[in-house]
Amino acid sequence: MTKDEVQGAMEEDQAQSKKGLKKQQKEAEKAVKKAEKQAKLAADQQGSEEDDFAKDRYGVPPMVQSQQKLDRVLVRVEDLSPEKADQLIWLRARVHTSRAKGKQCFLVLRQQQFNVQALVAVGDRASKQMVKFAANITKESIVDVEASVRKVEQKIESCTQQDVELHIERIFVISQSEARLPLQLEDAVRPDGEGEEEGRATVNQDTKLDNRVIDLRTTTSQAIFRLQSGVCKLFRDTLTNKGFVEIQTPKIISAASEGGANVFTVSYFKTSAYLAQSPQLYKQMCICADFDKVFCVGPVFRAEDSNTHRHLTEFVGLDIEMAFSYHYHEVIDSITDTMVQIFKGLRDNFQTEILTVNKQYPSEPFKFLEPTLRLEYTEALAMLHQAGVEMGDEEDLSTPNEKLLGRLVKEKYDTDFYVLDKYPLAVRPFYTMPDPNNAKYSNSYDMFMRGEEILSGAQRVHDAQLLTERAMHHQIDLEKIKSYIDSFRYGAPPTWRRRHWPGESVHAVPRPPQHSSDLHVPT
Amino acid sequence: MALRELSSLEKYLGLKKPNKYSTQGDKKVPVLQNNNGPPLVGLGTIASHLVKEAKRPNLLGDSAESRAVVQQWLEYRVTKLDGCTKEDTKAILKDLNLYLQDKVYMAGNQFTLADTFMYFGIHPIIVDLSVQEKEQYVNVARWFDHIQRCPGVRHHLPPLVVLRNRIYTSKHH
Repeated sequence: MTKDEVQGAMEEDQAQSKKGLKKQQKEAEKAVKKAEKQAKLAADQQGSEEDDFAKDRYGVPPMVQSQQKLDRVLVRVEDLSPEKADQLIWLRARVHTSRAKGKQCFLVLRQQQFNVQALVAVGDRASKQMVKFAANITKESIVDVEASVRKVEQKIESCTQQDVELHIERIFVISQSEARLPLQLEDAVRPDGEGEEEGRATVNQDTKLDNRVIDLRTTTSQAIFRLQSGVCKLFRDTLTNKGFVEIQTPKIISAASEGGANVFTVSYFKTSAYLAQSPQLYKQMCICADFDKVFCVGPVFRAEDSNTHRHLTEFVGLDIEMAFSYHYHEVIDSITDTMVQIFKGLRDNFQTEILTVNKQYPSEPFKFLEPTLRLEYTEALAMLHQAGVEMGDEEDLSTPNEKLLGRLVKEKYDTDFYVLDKYPLAVRPFYTMPDPNNAKYSNSYDMFMRGEEILSGAQRVHDAQLLTERAMHHQIDLEKIKSYIDSFRYGAPPTWRRRHWPGESVHAVPRPPQHSSDLHVPT
Repeated sequence: MALRELSSLEKYLGLKKPNKYSTQGDKKVPVLQNNNGPPLVGLGTIASHLVKEAKRPNLLGDSAESRAVVQQWLEYRVTKLDGCTKEDTKAILKDLNLYLQDKVYMAGNQFTLADTFMYFGIHPIIVDLSVQEKEQYVNVARWFDHIQRCPGVRHHLPPLVVLRNRIYTSKHH
């Protein structure tokens, strides 16, 4: 243009026509370009419809409304191993993560405690659109996948199934999840220390408890609940093999069984009743009724105001009561043997679960001796004195001293589990049988795991007269316990009773009291 | 407090005649009236004087370097340790723990006044430590137990228990 202008007025006419020509040319070029573009777009669209040869191998099928009974075997993720190499299998799992990388999409599929890597790659089985679809599946969606199992050269460290990966042929979304999750499962299983060090997120307890359904899907939660189930099963099986009978005791009762301080009151029609603080009374009634050996697994309700992981308002108590022949140590031996069977059972059959939990909550393997270590209170006092703790002979152990004692015992005897026998009489309830050889002490004991008291037991006074004397000594109103004393008037066998705290496990998980009504986790 | 330490020191040194001390100021700095010259003021000064009187100069260090280190710790004792706050104790223990990593005594290779007075000064802090904390500051605990067992040192202070074996071995509890 400028050149034309510079040439001067003489060539204006020429310039005009040249301008016009140029303009026309430009417009023509534009038109050609537009036409090309449209043609290309049309071709592309046609192409994408044409090229999606894998259209029927992926997608969102209609909602499962029991339309048909498919004769299809779904393989469990935990069973995926090199043995199944090159087999074509179906499985249903959740999408834990999905990540596209060029012509491939990597997915991690999760089922309870186990996960496996899966891959969709553009090729003769999968189209570009299929890979794109896989990459866009939201986390936590449930998918049905048909895939061939392939062995991998290098172990896949980030998955539980490390020796294989799945090459996906078909993938269908059975239940889609919303794109935004209230918490990320990877964050929820991250150990606290690692979170702080690497600056990665961890999920705090309140968020977890507000979105409990998602939190329970984590590998750690799955493992914890399996361990809890294992503890109860081992408890039942061991005791049943020893000839115990399982009983279920009433939980709505007419009088507080352990003293009125921390009992929940409920309205009972026109009056009130209480939630049972322990099955104590009923267990003893069973013994007086010649049941000989009973146990009870059920909820225990205590209105405990303290906010520690050992003070829950509702927990599952494992209670035992048995009659013995001549010496209460018969009972201690029976109980410690039960505990050892539980420890061994967990150690031998639940290693997978224990290791899963250890990933988030690291801990050392639980150590115990056979036969179980039994220390007398006087020896424990001596050990504490030696360590510089000042304590009186008839003083009870404070929680810090219990913990320190646990450490000293571990160092001296190399065990995390032991029995402390012959507690001072002064610090035990009025119904505890005094030691026949030393009036300062009693036939009572506690059991400890890693320095925390998990079980308290005693030989009960089964003689009405002695019981009355002891009650008077403790200045207890005899009227209130009249029926209890009376139950011993009709020939009561010498009995032992023990109350066991909520299911023990090899680690500790914190639980705030206000959420405990929901579900509970072993301590 | 300082006066009791000085009388303990006298007993250790085997000085027959106990001196009469007075104090001055709010901080109760000890003062020793001298017949021959001006009064001696200050814990470190009086202690050094007593040691010379008892003809045990090696307690002040046997080389020029160790003599300087002894004086350094005497001064540390009076300025940093006495009257330190709760927050300071953690820092002090950490520093001492690092310093004592490769040393049996505070200065040089033998027992000196630095050990005596650092022991006197740090006793009230160690008294309040739990077993776990003593394990954490393992070098301080080791040195402390060694000094408190040295014959004649620990006159007016009760012995403190320092466990030989570690009981907090795993990092998970």
